[in-house]
Amino acid sequence: MDLLERYLQAVKKHLPGKKQDDILAELRANLESQLEDKEAELGRPLTQGEMEDWLRTIGPPILVASRYQPQQYLIGPALYPVYLYVLRVSALWAIVIYTVVNAVVIPLTSPTEASAMAAVVRAPGVLITVAAWVTLIFAAIEFGAARFPEKCSPIAGLTGKWSPSSLPPLEKDTPQGKKPRGYATAVAEVVFEFLFLVWLLLIPQHPFLVLGPGVVFLDAGPFQLAHAWWTFFWWIVALNALQVAWHSVDLARGTWRNRSTLERIAAKVFGLAPLVLMLDVRDNVYVLLKNPAVDRAHYGSALESINKSVHLGLLVVTTIVALQLAWEIAQAMVQISRGRAAAH
Amino acid sequence: MSSIENVFENLRLELRRGCLTLAVLAQLRQEHYGYTLRKELAERGLEIEESTLYPLLRRLEAQGLLVSEWREEEKRNKRFYRLSGEGQQILGQLLEEWQAINASINRIL
Repeated sequence: MDLLERYLQAVKKHLPGKKQDDILAELRANLESQLEDKEAELGRPLTQGEMEDWLRTIGPPILVASRYQPQQYLIGPALYPVYLYVLRVSALWAIVIYTVVNAVVIPLTSPTEASAMAAVVRAPGVLITVAAWVTLIFAAIEFGAARFPEKCSPIAGLTGKWSPSSLPPLEKDTPQGKKPRGYATAVAEVVFEFLFLVWLLLIPQHPFLVLGPGVVFLDAGPFQLAHAWWTFFWWIVALNALQVAWHSVDLARGTWRNRSTLERIAAKVFGLAPLVLMLDVRDNVYVLLKNPAVDRAHYGSALESINKSVHLGLLVVTTIVALQLAWEIAQAMVQISRGRAAAH
Repeated sequence: MSSIENVFENLRLELRRGCLTLAVLAQLRQEHYGYTLRKELAERGLEIEESTLYPLLRRLEAQGLLVSEWREEEKRNKRFYRLSGEGQQILGQLLEEWQAINASINRIL
């Protein structure tokens, strides 16, 4: 009986506080009845070994006591899929924002390797903090829903109040040989496009971001960029801003898996426009002399060579982009004609 | 235990889980305390562990399906359970549901 008392004592430690005595009294009565029956069958008291075997079949005290706890989840099965999705999105966006903020702040305040490394080392801490907050919020929702089901508003999407008409449009089949893009890839693309845009916007004030140490020669040298480059620059900024916005909307709408043909063609057209504008610059003057009256005699022929080279380079790039655009248009027309043939 | 045995064991436990509540409610059309209820169920082919049955009785009581009272029997205080009015109603509904499911399974088989 001593072993049974010790067992009941161990169970009691893990029982819910308010009902410990009541539960224990009931458990004691049931186990003592069971023990009596066993001893009546054997015609003698159980030995120590038999008692241990019997208590072992009932189960460890903590497990027995835990079954008297009310069934509760930190985050229940109804909320868990939503929690996982929000956790994934929050973690990815936290890293996006953290990366962008540090990409801007570090070069402007303390552009050293040590600062960059410190930012990298802090990144896991940021992710853990975000995960902890998301988990805490969802645990609070679960707690509220379990304790006050009549007062908790149904969570959108879990109660049948979602609208089928708000579903993303049907995605066209992925072209043969190409895998649809994953969510992480799509988010990573937006991250890098955003970083690229920030980098672009910093260039006018911080040309070293493009030229590196060569910015010294630009400052000291006789040449300067023509005003046409500003037009080109803002076209590129606008194109990238449009891409970031478009791809962010794709992410939000759930249509990130495949880039539409229209989008690809629009990006090529929009990218071609500034190149064509630059090719049309008057007299193909892309680089100027800072002091033409002083420097023309010495640097005139070099200036001419530079402008010719830049023009040639722009011509090559424009041709490549134009060919890519033609290819995209041709592929789109082939897809359309195939689609029409299949429909007939 | 092999993986297929694990699969069977998990599915068996799931199948039993719903049936146990019905069996306990049905058996408590007559008054029992925990141990005698377990014995009765075992004699009718439904073995159930103490650590499963006794907390289940508490939960069903908390849900209003059972009522209990402490009484002395054979010089020992015991907690006796029986169906409440709501418990009887729920039992009736569950039995109908059980029979409908049983009939559907038989038709499928």
